[in-house]
Amino acid sequence: MSLLEVEGLSVRFGGLRAVRELTFSVERGEILGLIGPNGAGKTTVFNLVTGFVRPSAGVVRLEGRPLTGLRPHAVVRRGAARTFQIVKPFPGLSVRENVTVAAFVRHPVRRDAEARAEEVLERVGLAHRAGTAAGQLTLLDQKRLEVAKALATSPRLLLLDEPMGGLNPAEVDAASALVARIRDEGITVVLVEHVMKAIMAISSRVVVMNQGEKIAEGPPARVVEEPAVLAAYFGRRGA
Amino acid sequence: MRRAAPWLALLAAALAVPAVVRSSFALHVLVLVLFWATLGAAWNVLGGLAGQVSFGHAALVGVGAYTTMILYLRAGIAPWWGIPAGGAVAALASLPVGIVCFRLRGPYFSLATLAVAELVRLVAQNFEALTNGPTGFLITTLPPLRLGGWTVNWEAKGPFYVTAVLLAAVALASTAWLKGSRLGAWLVALRENEDAAEAVGIDTTRAKVLTLAHSAFLAGMGGGFYAFYFRYVDPDAVCNIGLSMEMVFIAMVGGLGTVGGPLAGALFLTAVAEVVREHFQVGHLVFYGLCMMLVIRFLPEGIWGRLHRRIARPRRAAADVALGG
Repeated sequence: MSLLEVEGLSVRFGGLRAVRELTFSVERGEILGLIGPNGAGKTTVFNLVTGFVRPSAGVVRLEGRPLTGLRPHAVVRRGAARTFQIVKPFPGLSVRENVTVAAFVRHPVRRDAEARAEEVLERVGLAHRAGTAAGQLTLLDQKRLEVAKALATSPRLLLLDEPMGGLNPAEVDAASALVARIRDEGITVVLVEHVMKAIMAISSRVVVMNQGEKIAEGPPARVVEEPAVLAAYFGRRGA
Repeated sequence: MRRAAPWLALLAAALAVPAVVRSSFALHVLVLVLFWATLGAAWNVLGGLAGQVSFGHAALVGVGAYTTMILYLRAGIAPWWGIPAGGAVAALASLPVGIVCFRLRGPYFSLATLAVAELVRLVAQNFEALTNGPTGFLITTLPPLRLGGWTVNWEAKGPFYVTAVLLAAVALASTAWLKGSRLGAWLVALRENEDAAEAVGIDTTRAKVLTLAHSAFLAGMGGGFYAFYFRYVDPDAVCNIGLSMEMVFIAMVGGLGTVGGPLAGALFLTAVAEVVREHFQVGHLVFYGLCMMLVIRFLPEGIWGRLHRRIARPRRAAADVALGG
């Protein structure tokens, strides 16, 4: 059984069909890239999977149990955590408090939650910033904090929404290494990303979306050669 | 425990006051300060810690006050039992309100609380069989109470003062407890960003409903005390918007989300009220509004927040140096 199964997922916003009949699955231990041009519906898929938006049709299952209809916090408790493309730290709290709040979900006692937070901060390379107010971090560190908060909830599935957007090439390499390390620690990752260098380097498989539909799926090197994918990104020659 | 020590000392000193202060006017003013501190703390738990701004907390005070009155006058249950009962009834009544109103966020929630408070006032005004309508309730004599062979004198201010001290202590101590708990951390998170809070597994609706119940319990006990102390309750006394605003005022001026803020805010409010009342009959709300604007502009962390920072910061800086950080 796949870790995550998405079947016939659709949602409408008024007249706009943002996601149409989307079906794909995520296997344990992989990094799945979810790519496509702007407006393809990638973030909406994350919102649907994590309970922020209710689908009009279709079903999402984590380890065989349906997630559809659950509120976001319940999805997290089931083991699927996400980050936001536009980072959402708790700006007035310190980095340490931000992550501790997330760790509280699995560790009701403050001391345990704080220990868990320290461990996660160490892993994402934010330990030296633990005392800083989250609102004062650089963009790279804010992105790290997003990942740290999600990791602190001890997920089995991590959904990363453009963790590398706005980073410089060196920072992209560091972020890619971090995502690969997370996968190596046994957490399955779905990655929405525009930075193709990162997708090519670390994802084992990609799903390509355009206008709410899946147009291709497969290993990254092969998928980027497909005419439908090229057409979605660059337009069809002579069309 | 180290942090609780100054508070315990303050509590002991407060309880000793009637032994020294004989003026019943002075005790009356202190009772008012403590009463307002309790109500301010009630509002602060929800509005300050969780960031859910209620404009209708007077309704919860009203539920507590009426519960205490009805239990005493209709069932003969003494007000000192009626006060916690008032808190419990207010907390219970808050549950359905919270479940419905917390579907709304931000200003929409605030408007909903305003509407709920108006509903409660109308019920108090018109449901005569239960509430006596506009006539309200009057306690003419309080039941005799003997404590360890000593009969409590209900004509003196002392017994009321001690009750008020205990209520305020419960309100402030429970705020401190909440702040240190997991729920408290979650409330701060959802105040900062509700979506992000959900995304780290916080059931924001449940957290808010529980906190509203906590807040309602304190407000309801405050209402019960009002009935016990003033011995007269009618819809205008306990269900009016002015009371809701005063609760907001105390928490904001004192310091949102702080433990001691409501005490500072209550002192300030009582002082302003005493000064203003000499010159104006009903204009006091204008002055509250003015003070609130000035505080929001120039002292956003409130009186307590500012004092606390002044005292805490140098100490923390010294600790950092000591740790070499």
